[in-house]
Amino acid sequence: MLSAEGNNKHLLTIKMSGVKMIYQPIGVIIGILGLIISIIRFRSGKSSAGMLGFWILVWAITIVISIFPDSTTFFANLFGIGRGLDFILIIAILGCYYFIFKIYNMIEQVESEITELVRQIALNNENENNKNDSQEDDPSNKLES
Amino acid sequence: MLINSAVGKLPQNKIFLVVPAYNEEKTVALVLEDLCQRSFNVVLVDDGSRDGTYDIVKDMQNKYPNHIFIYRHVINRGLGAALKTGIAAALKNGAEYIVTFDADGQHDPHDIETVCEPLINKDADVVIGSRNFSDMPLSRNWGNYLMNTLTMIFYGIYVNDSQSGLRAFNANSARLLKLNYHGYGVSSEIISEIKKNNLNLKEVPIKTIYTSYTLEKGTNTSVGLKILFKMIIDIFKKF
Repeated sequence: MLSAEGNNKHLLTIKMSGVKMIYQPIGVIIGILGLIISIIRFRSGKSSAGMLGFWILVWAITIVISIFPDSTTFFANLFGIGRGLDFILIIAILGCYYFIFKIYNMIEQVESEITELVRQIALNNENENNKNDSQEDDPSNKLES
Repeated sequence: MLINSAVGKLPQNKIFLVVPAYNEEKTVALVLEDLCQRSFNVVLVDDGSRDGTYDIVKDMQNKYPNHIFIYRHVINRGLGAALKTGIAAALKNGAEYIVTFDADGQHDPHDIETVCEPLINKDADVVIGSRNFSDMPLSRNWGNYLMNTLTMIFYGIYVNDSQSGLRAFNANSARLLKLNYHGYGVSSEIISEIKKNNLNLKEVPIKTIYTSYTLEKGTNTSVGLKILFKMIIDIFKKF
Protein backbone atom coordinates (compact mmCIF):
# COMPACT_ATOMS: atom_id res chain seq x y z
CA MET A 1 0.00 0.00 0.00
CA LEU A 2 1.50 3.30 -1.00
CA SER A 3 0.91 6.43 1.07
CA ALA A 4 -0.57 9.45 -0.74
CA GLU A 5 2.61 11.42 -0.23
CA GLY A 6 4.75 8.69 -1.57
CA ASN A 7 2.54 8.46 -4.64
CA ASN A 8 2.78 12.16 -5.42
CA LYS A 9 6.51 12.26 -5.00
CA HIS A 10 6.86 9.35 -7.33
CA LEU A 11 4.66 10.99 -9.97
CA LEU A 12 6.57 14.25 -9.65
CA THR A 13 9.85 12.54 -10.24
CA ILE A 14 8.55 10.86 -13.37
CA LYS A 15 7.14 14.19 -14.61
CA MET A 16 10.42 16.01 -14.03
CA SER A 17 12.49 13.40 -15.73
CA GLY A 18 9.96 13.43 -18.60
CA VAL A 19 10.50 17.16 -19.12
CA LYS A 20 14.21 16.66 -19.02
CA MET A 21 13.94 13.96 -21.55
CA ILE A 22 12.19 16.11 -24.17
CA TYR A 23 14.79 18.80 -24.54
CA GLN A 24 17.64 16.38 -24.42
CA PRO A 25 17.18 14.90 -27.88
CA ILE A 26 16.20 18.34 -29.21
CA GLY A 27 19.45 19.76 -27.87
CA VAL A 28 21.46 16.96 -29.44
CA ILE A 29 19.77 17.44 -32.82
CA ILE A 30 20.36 21.20 -32.73
CA GLY A 31 23.97 20.58 -31.79
CA ILE A 32 24.52 18.15 -34.65
CA LEU A 33 22.81 20.48 -37.13
CA GLY A 34 24.94 23.33 -35.88
CA LEU A 35 28.08 21.28 -36.36
CA ILE A 36 27.10 20.36 -39.90
CA ILE A 37 26.26 23.94 -40.86
CA SER A 38 29.46 25.28 -39.35
CA ILE A 39 31.54 22.78 -41.29
CA ILE A 40 29.71 23.56 -44.52
CA ARG A 41 30.31 27.30 -44.01
CA PHE A 42 33.97 26.69 -43.39
CA ARG A 43 34.27 24.52 -46.48
CA SER A 44 32.64 27.15 -48.66
CA GLY A 45 35.01 29.76 -47.31
CA LYS A 46 32.48 31.83 -45.39
CA SER A 47 34.18 31.46 -42.05
CA SER A 48 37.77 31.16 -40.95
CA ALA A 49 39.42 28.26 -39.18
CA GLY A 50 39.27 30.17 -35.92
CA MET A 51 35.53 30.70 -36.22
CA LEU A 52 35.05 27.03 -37.08
CA GLY A 53 36.95 26.01 -33.97
CA PHE A 54 34.82 28.36 -31.88
CA TRP A 55 31.53 27.03 -33.23
CA ILE A 56 32.60 23.38 -32.93
CA LEU A 57 33.22 24.10 -29.27
CA VAL A 58 29.83 25.76 -28.85
CA TRP A 59 27.92 22.92 -30.49
CA ALA A 60 29.93 20.23 -28.72
CA ILE A 61 29.08 21.83 -25.39
CA THR A 62 25.43 22.01 -26.41
CA ILE A 63 25.43 18.30 -27.17
CA VAL A 64 27.25 17.34 -23.97
CA ILE A 65 24.91 19.42 -21.84
CA SER A 66 21.89 17.92 -23.59
CA ILE A 67 23.04 14.37 -22.93
CA PHE A 68 24.37 15.03 -19.42
CA PRO A 69 22.37 17.94 -18.04
CA ASP A 70 23.79 17.41 -14.60
CA SER A 71 27.25 18.26 -15.83
CA THR A 72 26.23 21.90 -15.65
CA THR A 73 25.75 21.53 -11.93
CA PHE A 74 29.34 20.41 -11.66
CA PHE A 75 30.62 23.49 -13.45
CA ALA A 76 28.25 25.74 -11.57
CA ASN A 77 29.57 24.47 -8.27
CA LEU A 78 33.10 25.19 -9.43
CA PHE A 79 32.14 28.86 -9.57
CA GLY A 80 30.09 28.81 -6.42
CA ILE A 81 26.77 29.03 -8.23
CA GLY A 82 23.92 26.79 -7.12
CA ARG A 83 22.28 25.59 -10.30
CA GLY A 84 23.57 24.63 -13.69
CA LEU A 85 20.94 26.75 -15.36
CA ASP A 86 22.02 29.82 -13.40
CA PHE A 87 25.54 29.22 -14.58
CA ILE A 88 24.49 29.07 -18.23
CA LEU A 89 22.39 32.21 -17.88
CA ILE A 90 25.21 34.11 -16.27
CA ILE A 91 27.60 33.10 -19.03
CA ALA A 92 25.00 34.17 -21.58
CA ILE A 93 24.57 37.61 -19.97
CA LEU A 94 28.30 38.19 -19.75
CA GLY A 95 28.57 37.16 -23.37
CA CYS A 96 25.93 39.73 -24.27
CA TYR A 97 27.84 42.48 -22.45
CA TYR A 98 30.98 41.56 -24.33
CA PHE A 99 29.20 41.68 -27.68
CA ILE A 100 27.59 45.01 -26.86
CA PHE A 101 31.00 46.40 -26.03
CA LYS A 102 32.34 45.07 -29.31
CA ILE A 103 29.46 46.57 -31.26
CA TYR A 104 30.00 49.93 -29.55
CA ASN A 105 33.60 49.85 -30.69
CA MET A 106 32.56 48.94 -34.21
CA ILE A 107 30.19 51.88 -34.35
CA GLU A 108 32.92 54.21 -33.15
CA GLN A 109 35.15 52.87 -35.87
CA VAL A 110 32.49 53.48 -38.49
CA GLU A 111 31.94 57.02 -37.22
CA SER A 112 35.66 57.66 -37.48
CA GLU A 113 35.68 56.48 -41.03
CA ILE A 114 32.70 58.63 -41.95
CA THR A 115 34.42 61.64 -40.47
CA GLU A 116 37.55 60.89 -42.44
CA LEU A 117 35.49 60.70 -45.65
CA VAL A 118 33.71 63.96 -44.92
CA ARG A 119 37.02 65.67 -44.23
CA GLN A 120 38.59 64.37 -47.42
CA ILE A 121 35.59 65.58 -49.41
CA ALA A 122 35.94 69.00 -47.83
CA LEU A 123 39.62 69.22 -48.67
CA ASN A 124 39.13 67.86 -52.17
CA ASN A 125 36.47 70.46 -52.87
CA GLU A 126 38.66 73.31 -51.80
CA ASN A 127 38.92 74.68 -55.31
CA GLU A 128 35.18 74.61 -55.76
CA ASN A 129 34.64 76.56 -52.58
CA ASN A 130 37.46 78.98 -53.12
CA LYS A 131 37.20 80.22 -56.67
CA ASN A 132 39.61 83.11 -56.83
CA ASP A 133 41.08 84.89 -59.83
CA SER A 134 44.22 82.83 -59.52
CA GLN A 135 43.51 79.12 -59.48
CA GLU A 136 47.04 77.81 -59.14
CA ASP A 137 47.94 75.60 -56.22
CA ASP A 138 51.05 77.60 -55.51
CA PRO A 139 50.63 78.72 -51.88
CA SER A 140 52.55 81.92 -52.27
CA ASN A 141 49.91 83.16 -54.69
CA LYS A 142 47.26 82.94 -52.01
CA LEU A 143 49.09 85.13 -49.54
CA GLU A 144 48.57 88.48 -51.13
CA SER A 145 48.05 90.75 -48.16
CA MET B 1 38.94 100.79 -44.26
CA LEU B 2 41.45 98.26 -43.09
CA ILE B 3 42.52 98.44 -39.48
CA ASN B 4 46.25 97.94 -39.57
CA SER B 5 47.71 99.92 -36.73
CA ALA B 6 46.45 97.86 -33.80
CA VAL B 7 48.09 94.72 -35.08
CA GLY B 8 51.02 96.35 -36.80
CA LYS B 9 53.50 94.09 -35.04
CA LEU B 10 51.99 90.86 -36.30
CA PRO B 11 53.01 89.14 -39.52
CA GLN B 12 49.40 88.77 -40.60
CA ASN B 13 50.09 87.01 -43.82
CA LYS B 14 51.66 84.15 -41.88
CA ILE B 15 48.78 83.80 -39.46
CA PHE B 16 45.81 81.65 -40.33
CA LEU B 17 42.69 81.70 -38.23
CA VAL B 18 40.78 78.45 -38.18
CA VAL B 19 37.13 79.15 -37.54
CA PRO B 20 34.91 76.09 -37.15
CA ALA B 21 31.26 76.94 -37.67
CA TYR B 22 28.08 74.97 -37.23
CA ASN B 23 24.82 76.86 -37.66
CA GLU B 24 26.27 80.22 -36.76
CA GLU B 25 24.35 82.42 -39.17
CA LYS B 26 23.66 84.95 -36.45
CA THR B 27 27.23 85.75 -35.64
CA VAL B 28 29.55 84.53 -38.35
CA ALA B 29 29.26 87.60 -40.56
CA LEU B 30 30.31 89.96 -37.77
CA VAL B 31 33.13 87.72 -36.66
CA LEU B 32 34.53 87.35 -40.16
CA GLU B 33 34.16 91.05 -40.85
CA ASP B 34 36.21 91.83 -37.78
CA LEU B 35 38.91 89.36 -38.71
CA CYS B 36 39.19 90.36 -42.35
CA GLN B 37 39.36 94.03 -41.46
CA ARG B 38 42.52 93.14 -39.58
CA SER B 39 43.92 91.45 -42.67
CA PHE B 40 44.13 87.96 -41.23
CA ASN B 41 43.79 84.85 -43.35
CA VAL B 42 40.68 82.97 -42.32
CA VAL B 43 40.04 79.28 -42.90
CA LEU B 44 36.38 78.80 -42.24
CA VAL B 45 35.19 75.23 -41.85
CA ASP B 46 31.47 74.86 -42.29
CA ASP B 47 30.68 71.71 -40.36
CA GLY B 48 27.50 70.73 -42.15
CA SER B 49 25.47 73.78 -41.22
CA ARG B 50 21.78 73.63 -42.06
CA ASP B 51 21.13 77.33 -41.76
CA GLY B 52 22.41 80.22 -43.80
CA THR B 53 26.01 80.01 -42.53
CA TYR B 54 27.52 78.82 -45.79
CA ASP B 55 25.76 81.43 -47.93
CA ILE B 56 26.75 84.19 -45.56
CA VAL B 57 30.36 83.10 -45.61
CA LYS B 58 30.30 82.86 -49.39
CA ASP B 59 29.18 86.47 -49.54
CA MET B 60 31.95 87.48 -47.17
CA GLN B 61 34.40 85.68 -49.40
CA ASN B 62 33.32 87.79 -52.34
CA LYS B 63 33.89 90.86 -50.23
CA TYR B 64 37.36 89.79 -49.09
CA PRO B 65 38.49 87.42 -51.81
CA ASN B 66 42.00 86.74 -50.69
CA HIS B 67 41.38 86.43 -47.02
CA ILE B 68 38.69 83.79 -46.60
CA PHE B 69 39.12 80.12 -47.45
CA ILE B 70 36.03 77.98 -47.13
CA TYR B 71 35.97 74.26 -46.45
CA ARG B 72 32.71 72.49 -46.15
CA HIS B 73 31.82 69.24 -44.38
CA VAL B 74 28.83 67.73 -46.12
CA ILE B 75 27.62 66.25 -42.82
CA ASN B 76 28.12 67.62 -39.34
CA ARG B 77 30.98 65.71 -37.71
CA GLY B 78 31.81 67.81 -34.67
CA LEU B 79 34.31 70.36 -33.44
CA GLY B 80 37.30 68.05 -33.53
CA ALA B 81 36.73 67.09 -37.13
CA ALA B 82 36.25 70.72 -38.17
CA LEU B 83 39.46 71.77 -36.43
CA LYS B 84 41.35 68.92 -38.02
CA THR B 85 40.20 69.93 -41.49
CA GLY B 86 40.87 73.59 -40.78
CA ILE B 87 44.37 72.98 -39.51
CA ALA B 88 45.20 70.72 -42.45
CA ALA B 89 43.89 73.33 -44.86
CA ALA B 90 45.83 76.12 -43.17
CA LEU B 91 49.05 74.13 -43.32
CA LYS B 92 48.36 73.31 -46.94
CA ASN B 93 48.08 77.01 -47.68
CA GLY B 94 51.39 77.76 -46.07
CA ALA B 95 50.45 78.87 -42.57
CA GLU B 96 53.22 79.57 -40.12
CA TYR B 97 50.96 80.28 -37.19
CA ILE B 98 47.52 78.84 -36.70
CA VAL B 99 44.95 80.26 -34.30
CA THR B 100 41.66 78.54 -33.60
CA PHE B 101 38.90 81.08 -33.15
CA ASP B 102 35.21 80.65 -32.35
CA ALA B 103 32.51 81.71 -34.76
CA ASP B 104 29.98 82.66 -32.11
CA GLY B 105 31.50 85.97 -31.11
CA GLN B 106 32.89 84.77 -27.80
CA HIS B 107 36.43 85.77 -28.66
CA ASP B 108 37.90 89.21 -28.98
CA PRO B 109 40.09 89.65 -32.08
CA HIS B 110 42.52 91.75 -30.04
CA ASP B 111 43.42 88.58 -28.21
CA ILE B 112 44.83 87.08 -31.37
CA GLU B 113 47.87 89.21 -30.82
CA THR B 114 47.94 88.11 -27.19
CA VAL B 115 48.11 84.45 -28.07
CA CYS B 116 50.45 84.85 -31.02
CA GLU B 117 53.09 86.85 -29.25
CA PRO B 118 54.68 83.97 -27.33
CA LEU B 119 54.81 81.97 -30.55
CA ILE B 120 56.49 84.72 -32.50
CA ASN B 121 58.95 85.34 -29.69
CA LYS B 122 59.65 81.61 -29.65
CA ASP B 123 58.65 81.39 -25.99
CA ALA B 124 56.20 78.62 -26.67
CA ASP B 125 55.03 76.10 -29.27
CA VAL B 126 51.40 76.23 -28.26
CA VAL B 127 49.48 78.99 -26.54
CA ILE B 128 46.08 78.59 -24.92
CA GLY B 129 44.03 81.62 -24.09
CA SER B 130 42.56 81.21 -20.61
CA ARG B 131 39.30 82.80 -19.77
CA ASN B 132 38.80 84.53 -16.48
CA PHE B 133 36.55 82.21 -14.51
CA SER B 134 35.19 84.83 -12.18
CA ASP B 135 33.39 86.35 -15.14
CA MET B 136 31.59 83.13 -15.79
CA PRO B 137 28.30 81.84 -14.46
CA LEU B 138 28.71 79.27 -11.70
CA SER B 139 27.44 76.27 -13.62
CA ARG B 140 30.00 76.83 -16.33
CA ASN B 141 32.65 77.26 -13.67
CA TRP B 142 32.07 73.85 -12.17
CA GLY B 143 31.97 72.28 -15.59
CA ASN B 144 35.29 73.86 -16.48
CA TYR B 145 36.97 72.84 -13.24
CA LEU B 146 35.73 69.31 -13.76
CA MET B 147 37.07 69.18 -17.31
CA ASN B 148 40.38 70.66 -16.19
CA THR B 149 40.68 68.00 -13.49
CA LEU B 150 39.74 65.18 -15.81
CA THR B 151 42.22 66.43 -18.36
CA MET B 152 44.90 66.40 -15.74
CA ILE B 153 44.02 62.89 -14.55
CA PHE B 154 43.90 61.41 -18.01
CA TYR B 155 46.52 63.45 -19.77
CA GLY B 156 48.86 64.69 -17.13
CA ILE B 157 48.83 68.46 -17.46
CA TYR B 158 46.72 70.89 -15.47
CA VAL B 159 45.57 73.65 -17.74
CA ASN B 160 43.63 76.57 -16.33
CA ASP B 161 41.23 76.57 -19.22
CA SER B 162 41.46 73.26 -21.03
CA GLN B 163 38.26 73.91 -22.97
CA SER B 164 39.15 77.31 -24.33
CA GLY B 165 38.48 77.75 -28.01
CA LEU B 166 41.21 80.31 -28.57
CA ARG B 167 44.45 78.44 -29.10
CA ALA B 168 47.54 79.23 -31.16
CA PHE B 169 50.08 76.86 -32.68
CA ASN B 170 53.17 77.27 -34.73
CA ALA B 171 53.23 75.21 -37.92
CA ASN B 172 55.43 72.46 -36.52
CA SER B 173 53.23 71.86 -33.50
CA ALA B 174 50.13 71.88 -35.66
CA ARG B 175 51.66 69.21 -37.86
CA LEU B 176 52.41 67.01 -34.88
CA LEU B 177 48.84 66.95 -33.56
CA LYS B 178 47.08 63.66 -34.15
CA LEU B 179 43.45 64.34 -33.37
CA ASN B 180 40.87 61.59 -33.24
CA TYR B 181 38.04 62.96 -31.15
CA HIS B 182 35.31 64.38 -33.34
CA GLY B 183 33.39 66.43 -30.84
CA TYR B 184 34.09 68.74 -27.94
CA GLY B 185 36.50 66.25 -26.36
CA VAL B 186 39.08 67.48 -28.81
CA SER B 187 40.01 70.29 -26.44
CA SER B 188 41.34 67.77 -23.95
CA GLU B 189 42.87 65.72 -26.71
CA ILE B 190 44.89 68.70 -27.86
CA ILE B 191 46.32 68.92 -24.35
CA SER B 192 47.16 65.23 -24.52
CA GLU B 193 48.95 65.69 -27.83
CA ILE B 194 50.90 68.61 -26.41
CA LYS B 195 52.11 66.42 -23.59
CA LYS B 196 52.91 63.49 -25.88
CA ASN B 197 55.02 65.60 -28.19
CA ASN B 198 56.64 67.54 -25.37
CA LEU B 199 55.54 70.85 -26.76
CA ASN B 200 56.09 74.04 -24.88
CA LEU B 201 52.69 75.22 -23.66
CA LYS B 202 51.94 78.69 -22.41
CA GLU B 203 48.65 80.02 -21.09
CA VAL B 204 47.75 83.68 -21.42
CA PRO B 205 44.65 85.44 -20.12
CA ILE B 206 42.09 86.51 -22.66
CA LYS B 207 38.82 88.33 -22.59
CA THR B 208 35.53 86.52 -23.01
CA ILE B 209 32.44 88.08 -24.41
CA TYR B 210 29.45 86.43 -22.80
CA THR B 211 26.12 87.02 -24.37
CA SER B 212 22.99 84.98 -23.77
CA TYR B 213 23.74 83.36 -27.13
CA THR B 214 27.19 82.10 -26.29
CA LEU B 215 26.06 80.85 -22.90
CA GLU B 216 23.73 78.32 -24.47
CA LYS B 217 26.43 76.67 -26.49
CA GLY B 218 29.63 74.92 -25.70
CA THR B 219 30.46 72.35 -23.09
CA ASN B 220 27.87 71.83 -20.43
CA THR B 221 27.35 69.03 -17.93
CA SER B 222 25.86 66.42 -20.21
CA VAL B 223 28.51 66.97 -22.87
CA GLY B 224 31.12 66.79 -20.11
CA LEU B 225 29.72 63.47 -18.95
CA LYS B 226 29.81 62.11 -22.47
CA ILE B 227 33.44 63.13 -22.79
CA LEU B 228 34.25 61.45 -19.47
CA PHE B 229 32.53 58.28 -20.64
CA LYS B 230 34.59 58.31 -23.83
CA MET B 231 37.83 58.85 -21.95
CA ILE B 232 37.08 55.82 -19.78
CA ILE B 233 36.14 53.65 -22.73
CA ASP B 234 39.39 54.63 -24.40
CA ILE B 235 41.29 53.14 -21.53
CA PHE B 236 39.46 49.85 -21.96
CA LYS B 237 40.08 49.87 -25.67
CA LYS B 238 43.75 49.62 -25.09
CA PHE B 239 43.30 46.00 -23.96
